[in-house]
Amino acid sequence: MAFFFAGLALILAGGFVAVLARRAPPVADHLFVVLVGLGSVVGAVPALRVLAGGGVVSVSVAVALPGGPWVFGLDPLSAFFVLVFLGVGAASAMYGVAYLGAERGHRPVALAHLLVAMLIVSLALVAAAQAAVAFLVAWEVMAIVAYLLVVFESERAEARRAGLIYLVATHTGTLALFVLFATWGVRASDLTFASLAAVAPALPYGGAAVLVLGLVGFGVKAGLVPLHFWLPGAHAASPSHVSALMSGLVIKTGIYGLLRLVSLLGAPPAWWGWAVLALGLASGVLGVLWALAQHDLKRLLAYHSVENIGIILLGLGMGALGGAYHVPVVAVLGYTGAVLHVMNHAVFKSLLFLGAGSVARATGTRQIDRLGGLSRLMPVTWLTFLVASAAIVGLPPLNGFVSEWVVFQALLRAGVAQGPLRLAVFGAAGLGLIGALALACFAKVDGVVFLGRAREAEAAAAREVGAGMLVPMIALALACVLIGVAPVLVCGPALRAGGLVAGVGGISGLAGVAETVVAVRWIAGSAVALIAALGLGLLLRAAILRRRPVAVDETWGCGYAVPNVRMQYTASSFAAPLVEAYAPLAGVHVERSATSYATHARDPVLELALLRSWGRLRTLAGRLRPIQRGRLHVYLLYVVATVIALLVYLAAAGPAR
Amino acid sequence: MTVSSVATLAAVLSVAPALPGLANRTKSFLTGRRGAPVLQLYSDLAKLARKGAVYSGTTTSVFRVAPVLAVVSTLLAACLLPLDGREPVAGFTGDIVLFAALLALGRFAVVLAALDTGSSFEGMGASREVTFAAFAEPGLFLCLLVLVLATGRLSLGGMLAAPLANAWPTAAPSLVMVGISLFVLMLAETSRVPVDDPATHLELTMIHEVMVLDHSGPDLALILYGGALKLALFGSLVVGVLVPHSALDAPAGGAVLVVGLLGVAAGVGVVESVMARLRLDRVPQFLITASALAGFAAILLLG
Amino acid sequence: MAQLEAVVLILVIVANFVTLGTGRLTTCIRAVALQGFLLGLLPVVLHAGWSLHQIGLAAGTIAVKAVLLPRFLLWAIRETAIRREVEPRVGYVASLLLGAAGLAIAFAVAGRLPLPEQAAALLVPVALATVIMGLVVLTTRRKAVNQVVGYLMLENGIYLFGLTQTERVPFLVEVGVLLDIFVAVFIMGIVVFHINREFDSIDSARLAELAE
Repeated sequence: MAFFFAGLALILAGGFVAVLARRAPPVADHLFVVLVGLGSVVGAVPALRVLAGGGVVSVSVAVALPGGPWVFGLDPLSAFFVLVFLGVGAASAMYGVAYLGAERGHRPVALAHLLVAMLIVSLALVAAAQAAVAFLVAWEVMAIVAYLLVVFESERAEARRAGLIYLVATHTGTLALFVLFATWGVRASDLTFASLAAVAPALPYGGAAVLVLGLVGFGVKAGLVPLHFWLPGAHAASPSHVSALMSGLVIKTGIYGLLRLVSLLGAPPAWWGWAVLALGLASGVLGVLWALAQHDLKRLLAYHSVENIGIILLGLGMGALGGAYHVPVVAVLGYTGAVLHVMNHAVFKSLLFLGAGSVARATGTRQIDRLGGLSRLMPVTWLTFLVASAAIVGLPPLNGFVSEWVVFQALLRAGVAQGPLRLAVFGAAGLGLIGALALACFAKVDGVVFLGRAREAEAAAAREVGAGMLVPMIALALACVLIGVAPVLVCGPALRAGGLVAGVGGISGLAGVAETVVAVRWIAGSAVALIAALGLGLLLRAAILRRRPVAVDETWGCGYAVPNVRMQYTASSFAAPLVEAYAPLAGVHVERSATSYATHARDPVLELALLRSWGRLRTLAGRLRPIQRGRLHVYLLYVVATVIALLVYLAAAGPAR
Repeated sequence: MTVSSVATLAAVLSVAPALPGLANRTKSFLTGRRGAPVLQLYSDLAKLARKGAVYSGTTTSVFRVAPVLAVVSTLLAACLLPLDGREPVAGFTGDIVLFAALLALGRFAVVLAALDTGSSFEGMGASREVTFAAFAEPGLFLCLLVLVLATGRLSLGGMLAAPLANAWPTAAPSLVMVGISLFVLMLAETSRVPVDDPATHLELTMIHEVMVLDHSGPDLALILYGGALKLALFGSLVVGVLVPHSALDAPAGGAVLVVGLLGVAAGVGVVESVMARLRLDRVPQFLITASALAGFAAILLLG
Repeated sequence: MAQLEAVVLILVIVANFVTLGTGRLTTCIRAVALQGFLLGLLPVVLHAGWSLHQIGLAAGTIAVKAVLLPRFLLWAIRETAIRREVEPRVGYVASLLLGAAGLAIAFAVAGRLPLPEQAAALLVPVALATVIMGLVVLTTRRKAVNQVVGYLMLENGIYLFGLTQTERVPFLVEVGVLLDIFVAVFIMGIVVFHINREFDSIDSARLAELAE
């Protein structure tokens, strides 16, 4: 564990160096990058050791606060998450250095670097905490630091509003977590996870209160529908590397919390598993539908995070159901799929956000319909974005396919099991629907933003961004490909983590798991075969075309001789058939006039449910205003009346003398 | 990977271009015309392969890679099916998902190539293609789910071979419904009537055709062959479900498949001459009906 | 001793009524000063102990409550040069009736409160009555100085109540309480002075307009 804390200390030191040395930008930036990178590597060493088969490590620190000692430890689940947090966090932090470099002088850039370092450290501590108080402290630090980063561009009203909604949402969730640990901890000797796990069998109703509170508290952070309402605004309004950190890492702490909850409680009851499965399906489908309707690139990507959280919850729900119906294979595979998708999503979603940041930096706009033709002007950004898009859609030979495949396995194996669990197999069709909708959405994004020709001047003036931003993106893209082609690297550790959550020891002994391991090798083989066949095909084609006349001309487009940039399909038109087919759910508001047509995507939960009920609450509360007259003696009258009423009550209820 | 599986695959790959021709010929016959020769597509492919290509200045390498990727992915998907009724060329537990994902990969490539041209026609075709795919994909999964529930196997090689023959007596109604559903999905995926009319020349009514307007020469040959291959692929699925031939030994099994494919192609021709092409906004309902049929079949097996 | 206690407590009640019924500010302040003097004596009377600690405390209480604070208030009145009339919101008769009602409630309720047995049976009712009457003064008087007087009555009532709770109140607590009252009144006086300087009035009704 010493390495772990040393790594975190290095990362923090990098942040402080960035602030202290802010007058000398090149030195500060280089030192920050070096320290954060080094710290991530050092901190990841114990995690790798644990995942490679080493035993669990932990350290206990006695503090002068109630709730017992603070225990930090790395078991396979924590180690997996720590690896993801440190790896993707370091890449995003390095990107942020170059991204914010242009804003030095009129924004607190050095402070932002320090906050990013603190965010990564608090994320790692959340994953490593093995005691409730330590967990909550790290959780709160993470939430507040994230808020400060969201409102980085504080002069924009959009950022402030998004930050406020985020703050309200995250503290509501934290409140639920406080209640959760309080109700659980009354029975335990102290608030370390080990003690909590020991009293878990004694919880009333099989821990129903804890499970529901956990779903609310961790669900707000994870962004599952309908608790996702803070997500699009916050992820869109923050600087791109912060969006990457939030979408890729911060929301995963909610998933980590749920997994840890399950691992401490033991197999959850079936109703919870079905609830999580249903919520996952809803989040997945609704998330991608709402994404289809967006015009803003980063908001669209934020809604895709909601969708992918839905996929992760599908895996989590299957894990819970497997545990509830005593089918260990389904349980292990479900949790493994969830954990794997956490990692893969962190990698490709942060890559997408970094790419969006590069696009925004180069063109100055996030509106999809103003862009186009960027593949020629920003080739590296385009290539990495394409890799990430294919990954998020779940196409072979990339990493998204691997984790979705594992989730599918859990769903399909439920179909060959016995009993009510078989109903869950319809979730596979749902997952297929989610995949097809995601394909539609990312075809739209890639096609409209990068392909074709520039629709507005700012897109035509774009230039490729600097190496400081490209290197992290290339690294993440390589990770996508590597995990897709060699999934055995990550499947073993993920299976160990999944087995831990499912409470199943000796997972390699399970027949289904052994089949899955074999199948993973076949997937690797298919990925290689696909790439090889593609290469071969391209060579053949090149060989054939070498001897043929090849010309370059205008797009044929049915013989229309004068194609215009504005004639290209817009993103809204591309998505229109799907959005209209799902119109009641999609929350799209259409404005038509004689000469114009505009669509506005509103978040249904935020606009229709929450803000409306908030408005009603305010008018109701406004009716109470007459009580507040601003006159002192009226308030004193209230005090007198209350005192006398209490005295009378006490007298009436108390013993007579 | 056995000799017979590879040989059957090779046979299917060679027969594939004949299938659209047979469908068109059947349709022509039923409407009282002579129609084009059954082997017309072979001559078209040969002609296109000899030609040069013209590329749009707007397109990038995506446009050049996409046709190859479409064919390669469909080919690899075909490797997962037990075409001779016994074993596929390659297979593993859970390869159903890889099958669907490879088809999606091909689709993604072609759609991106369409958007690469920067033309409104291709964009329109791409938009329709992904919309109908979003309705067809759950249907495909539901059909595969029914097979999983009926046979208890998780790989295509297991689902469409011997275990399916064993499951027929008990699960016949569901399997017939799945067969019909797969046939409808095949019409959607290969752009036949009633989802799309391959013989139309009005671009605004096209779906798949308009998406590939700009391809020329060998690229167009690859696209056309990929379309025929998809027809063969789905046709093999339909034949595999409706006519389980695992009891036969290898060459007979392959022959049964080829004959079945020809029958499917003829069936497509019959359907095309009997039905009119649906209005575009009715197509989702049509696909949802097919999916619901498969879903109902699944529920029958669960209950 | 019981009679002496009873006399002292009755005098406290009388002082309350005087504060409620009088129309002159200086009388109010003097009544509260009297009350403070009586309260300083009360621990000595109650416990009949003549230790140094007791006498010191009594002297301190009397010094603050009966001498310093009233003097300070009188100074404030002089400095701000306000009219020395009380100007209540409800009439004097109504104030007295409210005070009487408070007294009745206090006596009715005191018997039923879950408190330990008392040496002086009158102590709890008188304490409650003083608190209630202090609140009445606070509620029904306009001038800020008058509200300070009401606050002092409230504190006296609380002090009385505190006497019921312990045999000997710890030294530090008592000193702390005294200090608290002292500082509060001091600050109130300064505020009154400044408010008057800024706004030429310490009518709290007009001060309420600032809120809008």
